[in-house]
Amino acid sequence: MKNRIQELRKEKKIRQEDLAEAVGVTRQTIISLENGKYNASLQLAHRIAKYFDRTIEDIFLFEEE
Amino acid sequence: MWLNRLFSDGPIDFEKRCRTRILVGKGVILLGLLSLAVMAFGGKGAEEAASTFYMGTGIGLMTGGIISVMRNRRYLADPNRKRERAIAESDERNRLLGLRCWALAGYSMFLVLYVGILISGFLNGTVAKVLLAVVAVYALLLGLFRFLLGKSM
Repeated sequence: MKNRIQELRKEKKIRQEDLAEAVGVTRQTIISLENGKYNASLQLAHRIAKYFDRTIEDIFLFEEE
Repeated sequence: MWLNRLFSDGPIDFEKRCRTRILVGKGVILLGLLSLAVMAFGGKGAEEAASTFYMGTGIGLMTGGIISVMRNRRYLADPNRKRERAIAESDERNRLLGLRCWALAGYSMFLVLYVGILISGFLNGTVAKVLLAVVAVYALLLGLFRFLLGKSM
């Protein structure tokens, strides 16, 4: 699953550390999410969407196989 | 159900967790002391190997307990350290990594036990039987937890 976290984070000019703290995860989790190595749970996706003031679908791009 | 609480996805009460760990750590220190006492007072007639086992267990338990108590007290005393540790422990990726590590270790343990049974069958029947019993208990526990978790999820 692709996502636009890095793009939105850079748009907002915030560091990975700040985003991580705001959504209650470690910086490593944000790095893994941005690199597409880890898929966020629904709860985390919701927290990230709320942080960026977007919908989950705006940030996480679901791909049907 | 208590099993679900162990793997809760919700926010954790880190302070309560630290206090519980301090209490458990103190209990572990006491167990270590008990093991050393057994070695000192009750192990006179025992073989040297048994004595060494009690001493090793005692020292190991006490060291682990002291480290746990000190570490958790430090978390409680320093708000920054506490916040960082709470995030690290509640981080969903870390928790997933932990669960996968346990799963992989479990599969590996099964394999190691199987190899152990194969080899010990030729060398010592008692060891082979003990290992078979361990595999049986392991498989039973796996089935039991699968059943219990399946009922509560």
